[in-house]
Amino acid sequence: MIWTRATRIRILGRMNVHTYDTKDIIYALATAWGTAPIAVIRISGQGCVEALKPLFSRPEALGASASHTVLHGDLIDPKYKNPIDEVLVTVFRDGRGYTGEESVEISCHGSIPGIESIFAQLKDVGMRPASPGEFTFRAFMHGRMDLTRAEAVMEIVSSQSRLSHSLALGRLEGNLFSLIEEIKQQVLQVVSMVELQLDYAEDEIADDVAFPFEALEEAKRRIDALLSTYEMGKLYGEGARVVLAGATNAGKSTLFNLLLREERSIVSEVHGTTRDFIESKTVLDGIPVRLYDTAGLRESSDAIEMEGIRRTRKLLSEADLILLMLDGTEHDDTSVSQYRHLLEDPRCILVWNKTDLTTKPPAKGSYPLSAKRGEGFATLRDEMVRRLTKETDRPDGQALVIESSRQRDELKHASDALVRAVALAREELPMDIVAVELAEALHALGSLTGEVASDDILERIFSRFCVGK
Amino acid sequence: MDYDAIVIGAGHAGIEASLALSRLGFSTLLITQNLDAIGRLSCNPAIGGLAKGNLVREVDALGGEMGHLIDASMIQFRILNRRRGPAVQAPRAQADKFTYHRMAKETLEAQGKLALFQDTVVDILLGEDNSKIIGVSTERGHRITATVVVLTTGTFMEGKIFIGEYEARSGRLGESAAIGLGTALRQKGFTVGRLKTGTPARVRKSSLDFSAMVEQPGDPVMMPFSFDYQTIDRPSLQCHITWTNAETHRIIRENIHRSPLYGGKIVGKGPRYCPSIEDKVVRFPERERHQIFVEPEGVGTEEMYLNGMSSSLPEDVQVAFIRSIRGLEHAQIMRPAYAVEYDYLDPLQLYPSLESKHVKNLFIAGQTNGTSGYEEAACQGLVAGINAARKLAGEPPLILDRSESYTGVLIDDLVTKGTKEPYRMFTSRAEYRLNMRHDSADQRLTPKAHAVGLQPDEAMARLQEKLSRIEMVKDLLEKRKVEGRKAIELLRKPEIGIADLMESVPELASFEEPVCYQAELDVKYAGYVKRQERQVDRFSRMERIRIPEDFDYDALDGLSAESREKFKAVRPLSVGQAGRISGVRTSDLAILMVLLARRTDHDDEA
Ligand SMILES: Cc1cc2nc3c(=O)[nH]c(=O)nc-3n(C[C@H](O)[C@H](O)[C@H](O)COP(=O)(O)OP(=O)(O)OC[C@H]3O[C@@H](n4cnc5c(N)ncnc54)[C@H](O)[C@@H]3O)c2cc1C
Ligand SMILES: Nc1nc2c(ncn2[C@@H]2O[C@H](COP(=O)(O)OP(=O)(O)OP(=O)(O)O)[C@@H](O)[C@H]2O)c(=O)[nH]1
Ligand SMILES: [Mg+2]
Repeated sequence: MIWTRATRIRILGRMNVHTYDTKDIIYALATAWGTAPIAVIRISGQGCVEALKPLFSRPEALGASASHTVLHGDLIDPKYKNPIDEVLVTVFRDGRGYTGEESVEISCHGSIPGIESIFAQLKDVGMRPASPGEFTFRAFMHGRMDLTRAEAVMEIVSSQSRLSHSLALGRLEGNLFSLIEEIKQQVLQVVSMVELQLDYAEDEIADDVAFPFEALEEAKRRIDALLSTYEMGKLYGEGARVVLAGATNAGKSTLFNLLLREERSIVSEVHGTTRDFIESKTVLDGIPVRLYDTAGLRESSDAIEMEGIRRTRKLLSEADLILLMLDGTEHDDTSVSQYRHLLEDPRCILVWNKTDLTTKPPAKGSYPLSAKRGEGFATLRDEMVRRLTKETDRPDGQALVIESSRQRDELKHASDALVRAVALAREELPMDIVAVELAEALHALGSLTGEVASDDILERIFSRFCVGK
Repeated sequence: MDYDAIVIGAGHAGIEASLALSRLGFSTLLITQNLDAIGRLSCNPAIGGLAKGNLVREVDALGGEMGHLIDASMIQFRILNRRRGPAVQAPRAQADKFTYHRMAKETLEAQGKLALFQDTVVDILLGEDNSKIIGVSTERGHRITATVVVLTTGTFMEGKIFIGEYEARSGRLGESAAIGLGTALRQKGFTVGRLKTGTPARVRKSSLDFSAMVEQPGDPVMMPFSFDYQTIDRPSLQCHITWTNAETHRIIRENIHRSPLYGGKIVGKGPRYCPSIEDKVVRFPERERHQIFVEPEGVGTEEMYLNGMSSSLPEDVQVAFIRSIRGLEHAQIMRPAYAVEYDYLDPLQLYPSLESKHVKNLFIAGQTNGTSGYEEAACQGLVAGINAARKLAGEPPLILDRSESYTGVLIDDLVTKGTKEPYRMFTSRAEYRLNMRHDSADQRLTPKAHAVGLQPDEAMARLQEKLSRIEMVKDLLEKRKVEGRKAIELLRKPEIGIADLMESVPELASFEEPVCYQAELDVKYAGYVKRQERQVDRFSRMERIRIPEDFDYDALDGLSAESREKFKAVRPLSVGQAGRISGVRTSDLAILMVLLARRTDHDDEA
């Protein structure tokens, strides 16, 4: 087999296979896809400045530009010499760009047809659209970032709320890396002490060296503290699923619209208005939420409606939080019991709607609401947040929180190994046995920052990339 | 060609290399400066110790000679760290220096296909395009040709010794250095460096007061280093322990300026872990005393070795500080302590087979590669000899990995990381040390040596026999109850050893000491050793991603310049090895890894 200068690299993800060719010049939109005043297109790869010259109104200036300079000009269609867009081009010479390669950023106007025609031109000069995560992949490959930072980029790109965005930014700034580095140093000190003992005979160094239990337990505490942020990190990162369920005509769609602050779902006095579920995204106190309005639960012979009810059941099984809505005018404490199986579910909140129509007392433990007037809505919202965060405090934007399951697994691994090391040392097993567990903990911490390389790390990380960053 | 193989130097490396080559059927010439110095124990009259004892037993399992030589010459035997864990237990024996040397010489002389010749090699002969060795030339003008050459020059290549202001061109006190070869190799493009090491004074036994020292007896039962037999019966001598004191330290401190080291005359780097006494005093000012072992150099001699007191201070200072020590007040110095500085060849220039990357068919082993110690030299000599023979036979080299032997760890460290100071083997260097107990060296390596042709069928049969006897012991312990509990369960308790069970399980007495010993360690630690398997597994996965020897790193886009240079210099044979090169970035490894994984995919598809 002959090696060409171009290196084709394929990451075998569990599900998807990306083929990355590090020789190619790649491009992608770095800003959100949609209409906006300004959009930024990022181009990376050796020779990309040269390749862009025929598309730029000032090719000589572009070719001669130093790193980190900004040029003003037009992007042109080389066939007809007509300008496509007025742009600013920022040049990063070899080794200086985000990816560590020669790269260019084009700030253009943010209209979708405009961007698409620029893409068409870029393709014509031999560039290709980036695969998911390819920019970060290149940056990692060129040593521009360690793994915790690479993961943070992916989390920033996919973050769905401002809070999760700023948490990921903290990781990008290397906070996570430095914390783990600190913990690792702590463990390393113990390891060196233990290994030093392994190198001397008992007549040279006596056994009277005290085992540093305290240092190991401290390291474990710090790891565990970080671990405990995972649920939080996941909540703010990946978000939660909230499902509105209940009898027909209870006012689910009305509450749905209220939570979204828009008329998204059809509201009517007809029972069974919502036939299939409707999904929409919103943010609840920093938590990205996927909200589902569902078909009301009732006996029905209508095939479509039955399918809708079946889907509702499926959604319920996957929900993080269920709002069971009942029409307060039709129910009392005893009739509520038909929903027993849902009410016993810890994820369920009972919402007692249409309080404006009745003076009957709401069922025990329910949240009274008038979805039409908004009375009781604030209390309900607070309860939803409380339930989702499991009553822990909302992290501030500066807190260090992990949200990747890979990081959680490595931390767990490290913590378990330290527990075993401490237990073995307490049983007074010899140091060479204890050292195995310490090595295991160090390995896990090293894998976390990517300083220990192994074949499965890359696979786990780069299989969930998205385009652009 | 005059010979199939030439081995330069009859030290501990050269002995193993020449025996391996001739035993594998190749006509071999061993050239050495002085036939009376074959297998001389230059420094300490002892073989083994932590990690080093494991090396000796590995040499034996692989069909080498060192185990036999020490078994035939030991005058005291101990298993160190018996009260500690399995990985740090190791055999160590005091040797009778004369017997050791005589046995070495006799063994070489008795070996067929092996010629011995006294002369000094001053240059190597290269073939037409200078890429291949074809022989050597000597001080007395001989030009001798061979297909492969193994170089093991120890401390002799451009060697220089120092005692205070005195210096001489020697490799050991009273033995002249090998002059010319180092210079010749430098000119041929080898990266040559200087290292230094030292040895303490020898004092006269009858001038010492042993009543003022602490006795250090050997173990009651001697265990052989070799796996070829189970028992050994030799007389055992005492060693003694004494300590330096404030007065000793004062004398050293006041005269430190007279050391050639502090005066800057010695440029070579010394071992950090085996420092001279002046180093210890300067570097650890808070220590009130340092331990000295007083060890006999042999049976028929009065010379005693002062272990822990190596020095390069002038002789009058040596006399003063030695006599400040309890028990040594009237010590007569017979040979002074001295330091030696010598040329070594940067081991990064070698493949893991120990073949030179620049000059084909040249293998290098022992102290020449920057190591220090007899055992370190012997295991390299053996591997170099085996691989030189395999080269002659057109077979792939024998490469031992880090998870199966200390020998593998040592060679991998040398050729992957290089060394800037004398490299000594340590337990801590071996990550998978629980798998590498000294008593299991035969299980790990004898089958490999058998495949290579250095171990006969009988060795394999003995191994099987030993394993089955160990099983018998375990069965016995499983069946027998002691105080209402299974004996095997009792043995798992930290405070109970197999010796404690002898009374309740008298049948144990019919099993040899090594069998009982190994059964005990197996039983005690079996559960914990398992936990290491996962680490070994991870290691092996990375070792299995092979990199071709001629891999073109320049064609690999995206590598950082530093890593590219390092990869090109080391030429790692696996991604695992690439990852151990110091200063290589993970991202560069990642590139290599995915690329090679893809290449394997591709080959599979094709
Ligand atoms: C002063 C001194 C202090 C030491 N201190 C320590 C210590 O503190 N700790 C420790 O572990 N080890 C120590 N040793 C090292 C130990 O002796 C060596 O590690 C070991 O002997 C190395 O074995 P070798 O086979 O590589 O070389 P050596 O045992 O040195 O044998 C080399 C042999 O090759 C011969 N030879 C060399 N060049 C040529 C040539 N060009 N032509 C022909 N023959 C040649 C020599 O005459 C010699 O016989 C010390 C050695 C010395 C001399
Ligand atoms: N008075 C009063 N009417 C309400 C309230 N909430 C909802 N309604 C009315 O109740 C009727 C049903 O409301 P929807 O939101 O469509 O009910 P639904 O649960 O989605 O019904 P289906 O989709 O049919 O299952 C509508 O006419 C709403 O205006 C409330 O709090 N008070
Ligand atoms: Mg509805």
